[in-house]
Amino acid sequence: MSTEAERPRVRMAAIVSGLSAGWLERAAIWVVLLALLGVAALFSDAFVQPIYLFNMVRQAAPVGMAAIGVTLVMVMGGVDLSVGAVISLAAVVAAVLMDGQAGNIGYALAATLTIGAAIGFANGVLIAWNRASPFILTLGTAVAVYGLTQIYSGGTARGIVAPGFREFFNQRIGGLVPVLALLFLAAASLAVLVQRTTRFGRSLYLVGSNPGAARLAGLHGARLTVATYTLSGLLAALGGITLLARSGVSSTFAGRGFEFDALAAVVLGGTTFEGGRGGVGGTVAGLLVLFVAFNLVNILGLNYNTQRVVAGVIIIVASAAYTLLTSRR
Amino acid sequence: MKIRPTAICAALMVIVAALPLTSLAQGVETARVQETVTTARFKKAAPYRVGVAAGYLSNSWVVFCLQHIRYEASRHKEISEILVTDAGFNPGKQVADIEDLISKNVNLILYWPVDEKAIQPALEKAVAKGIPTVNTGGGFTYGPGTVANAFIDQVVLGDMVARQLFKDMRGKGRIIAMLPIAGTTAAVDQLAALRTAIKEFPQIELLSAEYGDWNRAKAKQITENLLQRHPRIDGVFSPAGQMSIGVAEAFEEAGRLKEVVMSPGDEYNGWLKWVTKHGRGGAVTFPTRVGQEAVRLGLRILNGEPVKRGLTVPSEYISPASISRYVEPKRPDDWWASTLPEEWKPK
Amino acid sequence: MPVVSRSMRLTDRGIYWVLAAALAAAGLIPEFRSLGNLANVATQSAALAVLAVGQTFVILCGLIDLSVGQLTGLIVVLVCDVAAGRDAMMAPALLLAIGLGAGSGAVTGLLNNRLRIHPLILTFGTMSVLQGIVFTYTDRSVGRAPAAIAWLADGRLLGLPVAPLLVLVLAAGAHVTLTRTRFGMHVRAVGGGRDNARRAGIDTDRVAATVFVISGVSAAIGGLLVAGRLGVGYPHAGAGFELDAIVAVVLGGTSLAGGRGSVAGTVAAVLLLGLTNNVLNLLQISSFIQMLVKGLIVIGAILVNQPGGRRAFA
Repeated sequence: MSTEAERPRVRMAAIVSGLSAGWLERAAIWVVLLALLGVAALFSDAFVQPIYLFNMVRQAAPVGMAAIGVTLVMVMGGVDLSVGAVISLAAVVAAVLMDGQAGNIGYALAATLTIGAAIGFANGVLIAWNRASPFILTLGTAVAVYGLTQIYSGGTARGIVAPGFREFFNQRIGGLVPVLALLFLAAASLAVLVQRTTRFGRSLYLVGSNPGAARLAGLHGARLTVATYTLSGLLAALGGITLLARSGVSSTFAGRGFEFDALAAVVLGGTTFEGGRGGVGGTVAGLLVLFVAFNLVNILGLNYNTQRVVAGVIIIVASAAYTLLTSRR
Repeated sequence: MKIRPTAICAALMVIVAALPLTSLAQGVETARVQETVTTARFKKAAPYRVGVAAGYLSNSWVVFCLQHIRYEASRHKEISEILVTDAGFNPGKQVADIEDLISKNVNLILYWPVDEKAIQPALEKAVAKGIPTVNTGGGFTYGPGTVANAFIDQVVLGDMVARQLFKDMRGKGRIIAMLPIAGTTAAVDQLAALRTAIKEFPQIELLSAEYGDWNRAKAKQITENLLQRHPRIDGVFSPAGQMSIGVAEAFEEAGRLKEVVMSPGDEYNGWLKWVTKHGRGGAVTFPTRVGQEAVRLGLRILNGEPVKRGLTVPSEYISPASISRYVEPKRPDDWWASTLPEEWKPK
Repeated sequence: MPVVSRSMRLTDRGIYWVLAAALAAAGLIPEFRSLGNLANVATQSAALAVLAVGQTFVILCGLIDLSVGQLTGLIVVLVCDVAAGRDAMMAPALLLAIGLGAGSGAVTGLLNNRLRIHPLILTFGTMSVLQGIVFTYTDRSVGRAPAAIAWLADGRLLGLPVAPLLVLVLAAGAHVTLTRTRFGMHVRAVGGGRDNARRAGIDTDRVAATVFVISGVSAAIGGLLVAGRLGVGYPHAGAGFELDAIVAVVLGGTSLAGGRGSVAGTVAAVLLLGLTNNVLNLLQISSFIQMLVKGLIVIGAILVNQPGGRRAFA
């Protein structure tokens, strides 16, 4: 609370750096990613095989889709912890609406995305007009959405995926790039474009770095808040569809914990909780750092428990390395 | 009484014939399972209120098992009410749930634990108040808090799956194991059965045992990495069908499905569909009707009849050739082949 | 120090109104009113209350600690395994629990001060590490809690349940520490604005390290209570506690931005959550609907409570 009045200069600096962050700051997480990949390649040549790397992008796609939305929300100074629940709900709903008929795919996907967007919209409205803490509010939404999923499904991930749906998304273009991986990279690129070149994107950074100044500049913070959370809900639903496409779904909690993976990716990527900094590009790199880490410990044949220890250490070390790189400017 | 030599011969022959059978699948704690429990002190007059303390409900097998419980209860006029609590994987909550059921004066508690040891004191409280408890599902518990068990022996199940796999592999090759959540009865018993069975097959090598948490996506991702790590994998031990699908998909996408023998899964509908499509794998059942058996067992206890400490609901092997009698192609993947009447199947 | 004087405001008191309303509504259910049931609710909520009180220090300081859940799990497992049901091992088990809690907190504090990464990421990492350690130690329930610990968690003293009394004592101590001591003022000051606090001559690193130690010790005490209730060292015992604790703290009116909030609000929020569980169970509401209702209650309570602005952590 004390920060608002006392740090206007810091805030202005943040706006500047947020909009035109130094290349080193933006590149830092990519440096970390390359270093980690280099280390990984020492242990297994899988990490230099394009087919394996693209598969990793596909593995990361469900979390990644949601992470794009979470990034935009966090740039604006918010946070969205409901994405894991939305992913779970979306995967179940999409399969139920498809009901095993290829003809239903379009309608099922549209309805699923609408539901995701509606949940995001509700988050946005509550946060914009009630000034509630997004952290807890979206955590509450998550619990409620899990409840809805259970009520809707009766505890089983009922629903039948339409024939052709999963085959289409999993095929590899040119025998190499899975459609899902491509879809995720396309979504991420689009988001980068939006955040760099549109008024909406610039407004996110402005509101994130200084809501007061943004209001003075004539930006409607509430409307922006609603729009961004809606987008986050929509992208999480897309993540759920992606998950359904990647591996089918056998549980009503398929996306549980994804909100933390997404959050870890976003923060590793240089977007801070204070808002106004970072962006989707960094998030993609942060996401890949996480997945390289998880896969590396897995491929090394470490048992699950050791995997948890190593993954934790990698998250801390990568994050610290990033901080070190960016603070040396 | 005169004993005829032919009788002795016949008896000996039965014993000899039974020997390989017993060494084949020694289940969990046989003597304790067979122990007789006197239940006179639980005898009560109807109507009965039956409490179900579920460790979790958000899982399709459990949903089916609960439907079997409700169905069986509907067939007994003496059961007036079913009260279900859901601990959502939290043993602390399950303790509280059991306490709540006791204070609601239920006459019988069926339960499946999140952690069997953690809820023992709460179950003991129930038994002390004259409320019999029946462990229902995939584990056998021996303790003062558990009056009887209606269960599927996962050591036997794991053994059946392992032996069928080794047979299909002609007793030779390198395998990986995909197990459920580490530390659960399912994971512990299945791995123990696999390790025991493997001793008789010197040419089978276990490359790696992984935990896929009953999660299809996770099983797939783990397998993708196993495929990188091991240039040749000849067999997959995966008793849980929902993970088997994820494993098989990873092999298929790597173009290595041909090199591998999939073990039987269970009667998870998605897996049955896979078996139908590929004509291999088969199933060793994990029957959801154990819920029904638990209700019947509970009623016998309330009747004061002596019962066995453990009532096993046997797993059966279904070969790929006969899978068509079980698969329901028009139903979801997350569904179980069951003996439930149509109107009692989950909606 | 203006930061401190602003710390308690009437708008932060929403949680008490919510709790009072919930209690009044619950009072309409005859089964709820029984003393035995009320004691049950209080006893069942004790472990979470202790963890949440610890987390209140951390959040007031503008930090967050996600590692406490797994730390609780580790302590549950170790205490039960070491004690193996023997009361003679009570003292070593207690020492081990407190020592481990404090030690883990100190390491987190040190890493926080040295690495300068966001505490959410740092403790997300240590949570993962601790989880790995727990499951390397054991993947199934081990040992048994000594009777003395079971008494602490589940027993009675002069007819009153022990665990809630313990919570009361600890919460009172925490309240006094935060409102009447220099250290408490420093915690709020650092949470209100780290740079200002440093300029005012406060050793911010030391304050941060101390709150993490407090959080670790609260995980140790919470772990003892969980161990006593479960009776065995269940490795998943701590899973999810970190989020429940954070939810309770924030529902209780403590701002995630730091600087502002109270222990009393936290304890009230823990009671509200426990009450909700109990009432929904008593009303025999299906667990799936319970989940929905709980989510809506969290949303409703945070809306009534309005702890801050539009920021992620405010």
